[in-house]
Amino acid sequence: MQRTILRDLLILLGVFGLIWLVFSLFSYPDDPQLISKQKEEQLGDSYVELILLNPMFEKLDNSVVDSALLVIGGRLEDALPDSEYHYDFVVFESEMINAFTVPGGNILISSALIAFCDTPEELAAVMAHEMGHVEKQHVMSRLIKELGIEILTSRDQFVLGEIAGMLSSTSFDRKQEEEADLFAAQLLERAAIEPRTLATVFRKLEKETDWDLLEDFEIVSTHPNLSSRIRESLHYKPAADFQAERIDLDWEGVKAALL
Amino acid sequence: MEYHPLPQPDQIETRVKEDAMGAYFMMFATAALGLPLPIINLVAAIIYYYVNREKGRFVQFHTLQSLYSQIPVSLLNSGLVAWTIVNFVKDLNFTGFYWGYLIMVATADLVYFIFSIIGAVKARKGVFYYFLFFGKLAYHQVYRIRPERAQSTLRNRPPGQ
Repeated sequence: MQRTILRDLLILLGVFGLIWLVFSLFSYPDDPQLISKQKEEQLGDSYVELILLNPMFEKLDNSVVDSALLVIGGRLEDALPDSEYHYDFVVFESEMINAFTVPGGNILISSALIAFCDTPEELAAVMAHEMGHVEKQHVMSRLIKELGIEILTSRDQFVLGEIAGMLSSTSFDRKQEEEADLFAAQLLERAAIEPRTLATVFRKLEKETDWDLLEDFEIVSTHPNLSSRIRESLHYKPAADFQAERIDLDWEGVKAALL
Repeated sequence: MEYHPLPQPDQIETRVKEDAMGAYFMMFATAALGLPLPIINLVAAIIYYYVNREKGRFVQFHTLQSLYSQIPVSLLNSGLVAWTIVNFVKDLNFTGFYWGYLIMVATADLVYFIFSIIGAVKARKGVFYYFLFFGKLAYHQVYRIRPERAQSTLRNRPPGQ
């Protein structure tokens, strides 16, 4: 009798353990995957078009800057071979230091941010952070949560314009920022760029006295505050055999091309 | 190991059958009351068991089966409530693991509910119904013939003996 009792117990534990395990592997409602990647890319492209129509986000057509971004972006993308996104980095003219993520792997970067970065690695760190928001689907989940799928997939031009407007000053919550920071550090390490460069960017942003220039920048507009993020970033431990490789760019030349 | 013989439905009084059925319904009421913390319903279930155990092995079996099966269900429910609260307070993600756990707990609740209803109906008819694991455990506990205690283990004796 005791043996059959024990056998029954094992059956019960096995069945319920299996139920837990199997259902843990599914995707659940607040998963932004409710919108297909293809649809997300289509939406993202229309948002980018609308954003660039706004005089505040005029696209910068400059081959030197574009090719620099291709080099930096390519280096980061190469370190992310399993990504389902194809990244598109677009530079717009603005005095505001800003970079933000639009669905579908579109990352918009202000010319002032490029000027603010002293090295291409610093820009790479910001780009990696934004890519973190893309890969972790923070933008999509935020939009789905705030607006719902119906509004998000609307074809109404006014609605689309409003969403595009929201995207340029999206702020994320603490957990999402921390996730993006960690993702950035790991991606930078894989791309043979010093993973703690994000701390340098945070330190410089913290020192920036003209806060009006940073008003819309999601990196500084949300909690946790910069000093705790500097600490977190410096805590990151790269692998023992990690060797940073410089990004081979004439950075001063790139910055001069902005003028 | 030897077991006491099982009574047949016509050998069990209606009153006893109703008390055995009550054990299952009693667990529902207390399970709802004690959802966040299993203490209340488990204490109530244990009290019900002790109050009714003198009414014979048939009642004792059903009460114990119901009590045993309620313990893991209550713990699973409490775990779910605690996990949900922690997720909200600490603003954590509701991961696939969480949803998997939720579905597992919901399944356990449903299975417990269905089996308890069947158990109650069978008890009312004076029939034994064994849940997987818990049924055998309760039967083993209640119907096992325990060896008589030897006289020498008696501690209280009349004066002068």
